[in-house]
Amino acid sequence: MEDQKYILFESYLSKELSEDEIIAFESRLKNESDFNQAFNTYKELTSFLEHKHDNEVASTAFQNNLKTISNTYFENKETDKKVVRFKPWQYAMAASIVLLMGIFTFNNFSNPSFNDYNNYETISLTVRGEQEDLLKAAENAFNNKDFAEAEVVFGELLAKDDSNKELQLYRSITLLELDKFDEADSLFGRLSNSPSVYKNKAIWYLALSKLKQKNHDACLEILKTIPEDVDDYIQAQELIKKLD
Amino acid sequence: MSEKKIHEDQKYIDGLLKNNSFIIQAIYDKFAPKVINYIKQNSGNSDKAQDIIQDTLITIYNQASENKLQLTCPFDAYFFLLCKRKWLNELKKSSSKEVTINEDVLSKGDEAQELAFETSVFGEKQALFTEMFQKLGTACKDLLTATFKIKSMEEVAKSLGVTYAYARKKKSLCIGKLTELVRESPKFNRLNN
Repeated sequence: MEDQKYILFESYLSKELSEDEIIAFESRLKNESDFNQAFNTYKELTSFLEHKHDNEVASTAFQNNLKTISNTYFENKETDKKVVRFKPWQYAMAASIVLLMGIFTFNNFSNPSFNDYNNYETISLTVRGEQEDLLKAAENAFNNKDFAEAEVVFGELLAKDDSNKELQLYRSITLLELDKFDEADSLFGRLSNSPSVYKNKAIWYLALSKLKQKNHDACLEILKTIPEDVDDYIQAQELIKKLD
Repeated sequence: MSEKKIHEDQKYIDGLLKNNSFIIQAIYDKFAPKVINYIKQNSGNSDKAQDIIQDTLITIYNQASENKLQLTCPFDAYFFLLCKRKWLNELKKSSSKEVTINEDVLSKGDEAQELAFETSVFGEKQALFTEMFQKLGTACKDLLTATFKIKSMEEVAKSLGVTYAYARKKKSLCIGKLTELVRESPKFNRLNN
């Protein structure tokens, strides 16, 4: 009896029943709750087994990758403590920048310029634990506003790992500082069109690049695409007001 | 019922599904600290938190790849609830004494709660199915593995040296057996209610 039931399930799922048989089968599904439950579990298990085998390779790749990222993250949690100590200071700095900007915007009735906005927070590329010389050099050059040097080092770093979006962002800011607008804009454009946490930053800097090029119309257009929940939203809105 | 709106945080689900390292890293950077804190404050430690987070992400991945997970709430809330639920289950399993928890009351309309609940049921079912599959006899296990790997029943029959009709019948009976094992387990009844 039970055996027949499972053979029937299989035939139904592989669409091998005649029209009449299907009608009879579906009416049993409706009217016999045990039959219905057994069928649902059978179907669920079939889908589970199918998927388990179809997806084995992708799933293993995912799990391995996840493990690596997880291990790195948790190993570095220890090192992160060092960074935490700097935090209050960073906040103070960020706060003072915001305050300064507030004062500037309050008193400043002239046209806004790129130099009002290029106060970068100190970047920190080596917090993840890998104390690489090259990363350190990039960090120092950028933080000391030695952009010519920074461009060289970012170039070298990206030659090794051209998919690193964080480095791409800092490289494009560096290019912007050096007035290499074409390269900078195309890099910002690419970053702002690909999903990453740097996407919105890239949009903001692309707008600043247009500002520096005195292309105020383009700058406005771009500023208006910055979503509300982004860090730079308020600054963007202020800039829009001044340019309009 | 109208189509629910998909939250923009769906990008995290899609990123996991595509095995996008950048997104996975972002998930850790943004959402792990809250979970780690919670677990540490509730009789756990950093190692436990690492396991819970990893298992949770695997469950989300599995659900997303098997039946299209659509996020209708912020990832933050969904992910935190899932990790929390998993950790509380872990605590219940390992400690004989009753753990006092503010049980989350499942309020209707709370998207994050509902979604997290669905995903955790999905995860527990998967674990149960895997466990029950191991309980099958060797013949059934081999036949089912071959069936779902090779796809064509003719080839399966050939590789196992049986007739096509027999292989087909055997396949339904083996999944039938598995169905019974699953339905008989108390855990399954708890999950289905």
